[in-house]
Amino acid sequence: METLSLILIVPLLCGALMFVMPVWFKFLSKLHILLSLVVSSILLLAVGEVVRGNELSAFDHFLFLDSLGAIFLSLIAITGLLVNVYATTYLKWELEEGHITPKEAKNYFALSFIFTWTMSLSVICNNIAFMWAAIEATTLASVFLVAVKKDKKSTESGYKYIVLCSIGLAFALYATILLYAAAHDHIQGEAMLYTNLLAGAKEVDSMALKLVFIFALIGFGTKAGLAPTHTWLPDVHAEGPAPTSALLSGVLLKCAMLGLIRFYAIVANGIGFDFVESVMLISGTLTLFVSAFFLIRQHNVKRMFAYHSIAHMGVIAFGLGVGGAIGLFAALFHCVAHSFTKALAFCSTGNIARVYGTKDMTKMGGMIRIAPLTAILFGIAICSLVGVPGFAIFVSEFLIFKAAALKEAYLLMAIFAVALAIIFIADFSHFFLATFGKVEGEVVHGSEMKLGENLPLILLAFLVVAFGVWQFDSLTFLLDESVKSIIKQ
Amino acid sequence: MELLIDLVTVLMMGTSLAVFAFRQYRWSIAAYALQTLLLVSVFLIQHFKYDAHELLIWSFTAFVMKVVFVPLFLWKLADKLGVVYEHEPVGGFFISPVVALSFSLAVAMMFYKVFVHFSIFQDPLPLFAASFIFMMGIFGFVLRNSFLKQILSYCLFENGIHLSLALMAYNSHELVEVGILTDAIFAVIIMGVLAKRFYSAYESLDTSKAINLRG
Repeated sequence: METLSLILIVPLLCGALMFVMPVWFKFLSKLHILLSLVVSSILLLAVGEVVRGNELSAFDHFLFLDSLGAIFLSLIAITGLLVNVYATTYLKWELEEGHITPKEAKNYFALSFIFTWTMSLSVICNNIAFMWAAIEATTLASVFLVAVKKDKKSTESGYKYIVLCSIGLAFALYATILLYAAAHDHIQGEAMLYTNLLAGAKEVDSMALKLVFIFALIGFGTKAGLAPTHTWLPDVHAEGPAPTSALLSGVLLKCAMLGLIRFYAIVANGIGFDFVESVMLISGTLTLFVSAFFLIRQHNVKRMFAYHSIAHMGVIAFGLGVGGAIGLFAALFHCVAHSFTKALAFCSTGNIARVYGTKDMTKMGGMIRIAPLTAILFGIAICSLVGVPGFAIFVSEFLIFKAAALKEAYLLMAIFAVALAIIFIADFSHFFLATFGKVEGEVVHGSEMKLGENLPLILLAFLVVAFGVWQFDSLTFLLDESVKSIIKQ
Repeated sequence: MELLIDLVTVLMMGTSLAVFAFRQYRWSIAAYALQTLLLVSVFLIQHFKYDAHELLIWSFTAFVMKVVFVPLFLWKLADKLGVVYEHEPVGGFFISPVVALSFSLAVAMMFYKVFVHFSIFQDPLPLFAASFIFMMGIFGFVLRNSFLKQILSYCLFENGIHLSLALMAYNSHELVEVGILTDAIFAVIIMGVLAKRFYSAYESLDTSKAINLRG
């Protein structure tokens, strides 16, 4: 059976299997880890094929996996696996504290596979309308991963999530329909296929392409968390369980960004890069400053990281706006770096909330003495998020500066530097507040988590550092090929 | 044939205003069912007019899922929750539809010519109606506070998109329509479940009470 068909079938089967399993948490946890391993192996198998230079395709090119998709599929595989492993620990704590029932935990495990399935589908769709449907389906699959509990706050976050994302994504569907209508008489082959649209983009009316890109930016930008339609994100991330926030921020936002990048590529190849770069620069700058402004005022650790997610989506948009081969490379690398970093950050908030019984950083302090490993992991996430050299995010932010410098866009460099400086100051002040000094509130769990419980976080931290100091040939190959596929026309 | 399709799409626009403005949930749901029946009629007319076989299948699936299933689901939801009348919307019961109507007309006027220029079926009024219904749905989310009314608003803008899809991209891959329709149905079901939870938590469907989280 073809690998792409397996990607379509296996996560769905795993989800169905989980739904019918008996409510026995220990068994379910082990099964969840095992099945996550199977799913991730299949996804990585497909990525491996692309790294070897093969482009996968199935069902008459309806599905495909190019180098661009392979980057995002590897994020679903790696980040998804580590977060899913951590989820078993986190849900065990939630169960012990009586916050959820065993049945809710089972549903969580089952839904996480359906969620993985929808995300994988969105990445491997060559048909852009079906890609839209898959991205919309990611929202539907993850609503009850966010609204796990039935209390007011949880229900409110689920409501905001589905409503705002559905409204936003509707504009992206209009973009898709308009693109098809504008292209179908002018390009060769099925006009819904990304590959055909990319190849024939020059034949499509330029005004239509501009309108398409604006609609796509509103649509996918809402889902990706770009300002000003980012408002769902802090509420949803802050209220959902830590592993859900890690999956949403680490993987889901990137899938939405991939949708936008595909439209970016089509429109740029049709009318040149000036228009899309200008629009992305405006969007990126606005997102960076809006998130930086709100970031300073946050004391809830999860809400702080949620604004970080918005900020880093702004960085990706800014990278796409600076453009050129290096700017695009940086934006795509940032997707990878941010995925690992933010998964680590949100998972560490799970540990922190366990220690203090709160997410309010003003009631923390002294974490380095109570849970030193968690404090270090939290510190690694913060260091990477603010772009300290030696951590993954530094690489992409440095490359964005380099791309801007090569274009002699000094004003852009200055704007980017100011935004990053605000984020830097806000983050370290919060980090010191929670980690050092005396405990300001209550300590609920006065010791470090077990090593096994921290293992997924340690592996994520390793990835954050490794991608900051080492160049992985396979990733570089995928990034280079992706950049070429976008700017070759 | 052209006069008939124009007439049906004008009626669709009228029903979107009815879905938006009725205070009684049952009337709104009935107006939505009628609108979707009209949408099915548009598919059938286009099928006969342009010999578009795909639209015959679309009309069948839309009838089953959107004329029968969705209204029935929403009707039962309203019954189960025991809600009859909608809460006061933003701007009040009179101003709210006027604002939605005028802005939806304005936006539809802006965009429909672009759509006509590129559309496969270049019927101006149906394309205008598609944009108008879509915008009425968007304004429904913005201006109506009731969760159930917001689900109906989702259904409204989904109908607008469905009409646009039929006029502008009916001949795309058959799975496209299946995917979009499936998403819409699941979205309604999930929103329905959330509405039930919302009602349990807040003892009301008034979403303006959802202020426990600050964005």
